[in-house]
Amino acid sequence: MAAKKACESFSKSLIEDVHKWGCMKQTGVSLRHMMEFGSKPTDRNLLISGQFLHKELPIRIARRAIELDTLPYGLSEKPATLKVRDWYLDSFRDLRSFPEIKDINDEKEFTQMIKAIKVRHNNVVPTMALGVQQLKKGMDPKIVYEDLDEIHQFLDRFYLSRIGIRMLIGQHVKLHKPNPAPHVVGCIHTKMSPVEVAKNASEAARAICLREYGSAPDINIYGDPSFTFPYVPTHLQLMVFELVKNSLRAVQERFMYSDKVAPPVRIIVAEGIEDVTIKISDEGGGIKRSGLPKIFTYLYSTAKNPLDEYTDLGTDDRITMAGYGYGIPISRLYAKYFGGDLQVISMEGYGTDAYLHLSRLGDSQEPLP
Amino acid sequence: MAAKKASESFSKTLIEEVHKWRCMKQTGVSLRYMMEFGSKPTQRNLLISGQFLHKELPIRIARRAIELESLPYGLSEKPAVLKVPSFFYALMGLLLFSVRDWYLDSFRDLRSFPEIKDTNDEREFTQMIKAIKVRHNNVVPMMALGVQQLKKGMDPKIVSEDLDEIHQFLDRFYMSRIGIRMLIGQHVELHNPNPPLHCVGYIHTKMSPVEVAQNASEDARCICLREYGSAPEVNIYGDPKFTFPYVPTHLHLMVFELVKNSLRAVQERFMDSDIVPPIRIIVADGIEDVTIKVSDEGGGIPRSGLPKIFTYLYSTARNPLDEHSDLGTADTVTMAGYGYGLPISRLYARYFGGDLQIISMEGYGECSLLWFDHLNSCKIKVKL
Repeated sequence: MAAKKACESFSKSLIEDVHKWGCMKQTGVSLRHMMEFGSKPTDRNLLISGQFLHKELPIRIARRAIELDTLPYGLSEKPATLKVRDWYLDSFRDLRSFPEIKDINDEKEFTQMIKAIKVRHNNVVPTMALGVQQLKKGMDPKIVYEDLDEIHQFLDRFYLSRIGIRMLIGQHVKLHKPNPAPHVVGCIHTKMSPVEVAKNASEAARAICLREYGSAPDINIYGDPSFTFPYVPTHLQLMVFELVKNSLRAVQERFMYSDKVAPPVRIIVAEGIEDVTIKISDEGGGIKRSGLPKIFTYLYSTAKNPLDEYTDLGTDDRITMAGYGYGIPISRLYAKYFGGDLQVISMEGYGTDAYLHLSRLGDSQEPLP
Repeated sequence: MAAKKASESFSKTLIEEVHKWRCMKQTGVSLRYMMEFGSKPTQRNLLISGQFLHKELPIRIARRAIELESLPYGLSEKPAVLKVPSFFYALMGLLLFSVRDWYLDSFRDLRSFPEIKDTNDEREFTQMIKAIKVRHNNVVPMMALGVQQLKKGMDPKIVSEDLDEIHQFLDRFYMSRIGIRMLIGQHVELHNPNPPLHCVGYIHTKMSPVEVAQNASEDARCICLREYGSAPEVNIYGDPKFTFPYVPTHLHLMVFELVKNSLRAVQERFMDSDIVPPIRIIVADGIEDVTIKVSDEGGGIPRSGLPKIFTYLYSTARNPLDEHSDLGTADTVTMAGYGYGLPISRLYARYFGGDLQIISMEGYGECSLLWFDHLNSCKIKVKL
């Protein structure tokens, strides 16, 4: 697929529509609202939800499409970026050309359509990563990538917005499920046990470590398993998995050829009034203070880039212990999405502590970059 | 003693000189430089050092004097914001101007001291700056009292952290004070005929952070014992043989503050419990950094409360200043005070290129991290 400007592949009126919708105001939804609204998935409510998304999604998608076209350093012209931009324009067109949702049948068809949109965008992250990689390769090596602030800020906005779009779509689609599990409202588990999610995520991370290194450090989890609060389990799973994966890798590499027993990774789950905090700490040797800002950038990884080996992104699904360096920045976006945060502090020569702060109240509006 | 403008108590020429010196450029000195220079305290070097201070100290002191003069009036431009009744305002002004007068007196002493030509001049100069340091001994509690008046008189609806200007001023002010006292103290100490082994003035070239942490923890536990009748354990992990060059009194102060806070939090949380979780201190030596972590299970604070702990107007404890009117003699350290321990500890950490960060897990406990620059590169200059 040759690199074309948007105006060559898409009609002029569509492009104008994109620019018009890209200027409209976005509407944020809080976790609590999603929970309360979704707890009564009547036909009427699904209709309202569908009509809301019919107006809201094109605004969010248009914004990103416009940004993708105006990136600095020639990132917009990279083949991978153009591919992503075309996905966004296709999705915008699908939404805009869908007629007004008047009844439950319209709504059902609309739901199928946005489900397909979500699938279309499944590989946005690795594809954008490839685009950035293509940019990095072509750039003057003397430029310090971490200093490319504009690109980092764009990616933060871009991925945060993607989390929101996929959350809204996923939530709406799931509300159609006829027999939802108890305490589940769409993607939200109203009684999620963070200790349980941490256990599952840790086991998954250990499995990968075992596969890659032949052994894996222990993981000890401290906290009340019966403590629950409303959250999106898949989000928490992703974040804990990433952080534990990094800790395991650090400890493994540090103690691999040592006689000493590898110290366990420790996870502590704390319940407060405002926050739920999950700490993941390791004795993997830590990183120097000057190196800490880098771990949140999208262009940094201390490991081999797996993308160089996988050209067919559509089918590649394997997760590796270390990849294109997106785990930590994207985990932080997930944390921030519902009003939380991710902090990483390190002691060079000792180990690293990652703190996941999750807002317990659920009142935060989605951040809308 | 009414609060007077500087122009009423000091001569016009002096005030003009203060303004002139205030504009001159400050010169920073790194830890490594102090160490290397001070390791050869020959008469010649002491002369050079004295001459440097004779020029450098007035610049730094003048800056602070000017800021102190303008601060109360700067605040008066926001009466609607602060809504401070005139009584508190006047008292604050009084206290701030007293400190300002100390600075002006010291400036005058320095400027009226003749050119340092030989070792005798240098010795007299050293006595003089020693006296200046003593004059300024109570600056912190005095300033704290002044700021306290502001807090008392302020509309409680005003959120303390919004008083950004005041916090920034106090940060600069106290940081500068650390520097001035370091320079003076270092120079005075270099005259010590029998310096302790491996010491260069205030700097210990082979300071063991584990050892300093042990001493600071014991001191903090003593205070906790005295106030509560019991004290949680403090466990320290790290290599006692690891050393690096630093100022032990600075480190002692910082660790003492952090451990004191942790002990208090744990004590109050587990007062009626049989099992009290210990405070844990970890000392890590890296290539670039030396890190000291102090962690507790004292219940932590909510994320929203974290920014406040570094402000000068926040404390979860009763203010001991209200009870000690004679600041000259009040010496007892209490478990909690006017809320300066953390912000000032952070300034000490930052002074030689380090930092202090605090992370909290609400419902569990807190973790404080102290970073120090291990490389002590000459490129790192002290904060001015």
